[in-house]
Amino acid sequence: MRWRPGPITLILASAALVPLVDLALPESLRISEAVRGVFLYAILALGLNVVTGYAGLLNLGIAAFMAIGAYAFAILTCEIYPFQIGFWPALMLTIPIGALAGFLLGAPTLRLRGDYLAIVTLGFGEIVQDVLKNLDTITKGTQGINPLPGPSFGGEQWTSSNELGWYYLLFALLVIVVMAVRNLERSRLGRAWFSIRQDELASRSMGIRVERVKMLAFSTAAAIAALAGGISASVLSSTGEPSNYDFQVSMLALCIIIVGGIGGIAGVLLGALVMIGLNSIVLVKATAALAAMGIGGQGNVLLSPNNWKYLIFGLALVLAVRLKPDGLLPPRIERSIR
Amino acid sequence: MSVLSAQNMTMRFGGLVAVQDVSLTVHAGEIFAVIGPNGAGKTTLFNAITGIYEPTAGVVRFSDKVVCVGCTPQTIVRMVATAIVAGVSSVVALNSQQLWSATIDANYQYLQPFPWWEAVGDFGRAITNLSLASGIVTALVGGLVGGAASLVLWWRSRRTPDLIARSGVARTFQNIRLFNELSLVQNVLVGMDHRMSAGFFSALLRLPTFFTERERFHAEALALLEFVGLADRAHFAAGSLPYGFRRRLEVARALAGKPKLILLDEPAAGMNPAEVVDLMALIRRVRDAGTTVVLIEHHMRLVMGVSDRILVLQYGKQIAEGTPAEIRGNPSCVEAYLGTENHG
Repeated sequence: MRWRPGPITLILASAALVPLVDLALPESLRISEAVRGVFLYAILALGLNVVTGYAGLLNLGIAAFMAIGAYAFAILTCEIYPFQIGFWPALMLTIPIGALAGFLLGAPTLRLRGDYLAIVTLGFGEIVQDVLKNLDTITKGTQGINPLPGPSFGGEQWTSSNELGWYYLLFALLVIVVMAVRNLERSRLGRAWFSIRQDELASRSMGIRVERVKMLAFSTAAAIAALAGGISASVLSSTGEPSNYDFQVSMLALCIIIVGGIGGIAGVLLGALVMIGLNSIVLVKATAALAAMGIGGQGNVLLSPNNWKYLIFGLALVLAVRLKPDGLLPPRIERSIR
Repeated sequence: MSVLSAQNMTMRFGGLVAVQDVSLTVHAGEIFAVIGPNGAGKTTLFNAITGIYEPTAGVVRFSDKVVCVGCTPQTIVRMVATAIVAGVSSVVALNSQQLWSATIDANYQYLQPFPWWEAVGDFGRAITNLSLASGIVTALVGGLVGGAASLVLWWRSRRTPDLIARSGVARTFQNIRLFNELSLVQNVLVGMDHRMSAGFFSALLRLPTFFTERERFHAEALALLEFVGLADRAHFAAGSLPYGFRRRLEVARALAGKPKLILLDEPAAGMNPAEVVDLMALIRRVRDAGTTVVLIEHHMRLVMGVSDRILVLQYGKQIAEGTPAEIRGNPSCVEAYLGTENHG
């Protein structure tokens, strides 16, 4: 059979070409910096997709794990702390730390069903923010922790000016996460996740250890979200304040997987492109264009498309649920046969 | 040898006694039927046998063994370990800022090398200097909660359906419960899951064990679909199957775990006569392949045609047990199904 690139390959390949296209464009139309945000949210949403898409456990606190990853990365690397283990070891450590956090939250709560679990995760999201805010001896409270290092290659420490480098670093991480998630999806574990999402009692009666399988979904999602948090802190060179990881972030990740197609990788990638792309590319460019034409600006806040962000998220969600309830790129059933 | 034996089993829901004092013994290689009018407690009996319900009274044995996670040394070790970890972490969590200042802040000067050993020593001192309430008491409370949680967890998961399924007892459901969005092969593969050994990392990193196992079970799943006559639809979604085929897929999924015993809950419900004949042949083939069959059924032609022995339930009580011929001649069974003839 001839090899045909699937939607995942197509999306990733076009993402890889964005900086090259940018070279041909005038400064004001370049988008690669904004696409980095898409990558970050795509990684976060892929994590959420494992727990909510595959295993069907509604998690409304995924941003909390992102915060845990970001603060773990910061404490391990920032020079105001003694650890300073460097970019790569710290980034690698965010994964087990996230997984452990997922385990600690999951162990007592995974026996809860549906809505109850959603409420617990929602509460967890708020608690983590409050803890980070009030544990100021350790986390520096609302200041956030900075500066944070980037990676260094060949003895050269990256700074935020190395745009192309950051772009491809994030891209590479996204590709790794996509491969990891795809490998899990098309395995015994992925099948078990799908089965408990569809009928928990039936899969239990077939001998699936439901608690263990759910726990793996929860921890995997938390680990991926923590990785996203670690790398985003490094990109910004700061954790930012704890409220950067609030409910809106979790909600946005959830919107991404619903609009894109819950339970499928290609859908999640497309969803991230649509939701974040709209926000940080289309709206920003439109605002700039309007400002250049002398419209908007200080006068009427409604005339600045930047402010339409949540309006558009809401609209996208309503339209998606009404017109494409399975998402833009719904996962196919025969997908994981081989 | 008995594959399944239940002794004096009672299942009570509040004031309602769904199954009362039922005993049954199923021998290896038998086809055993449980019949009775609607509401007689047949499905409840199945649910109690397969661990979905915890029987109010009575013992269920599979191959003369009680399937249950006992209180082994491992359970105790796990409980103690959980208690210790929970106790220590609650102390650290409650005093985190204090401990952090005493160990990290006190020893670290900006960009100077960090004296690790001193910090460890300071940590030890700080933790022993904690007040009674934030030290010992917190540790005790945390440890108690952790230990109790671990104990409750063990108690509640002593006899779960997955444990029973893994010990070689499979079942189908009265209202078909397939994984409709998965393909036929995948449905069967879910049934095989507990026989697989490749774990998380082997799937994540695509280790060689992953591929060998996948090939092996895939081939086996296709063979099993062949056995129930669904091989040509192997890659269709289960939800797209017509009704009669779904029943068969459920049987295939149940057989996938290589059970010693299979429980079929009304396998012929909603089937047309031709499908029932096929089903009877399938049930015999399952038995001939070495799996003991227990079935609940209302379809008398099927029950009388395939069963070796029949148990009759009415209002949760067992009113008769015997061969099809005996049951057919038993007036109380006829009465249970058809009511009494009034010769008044």
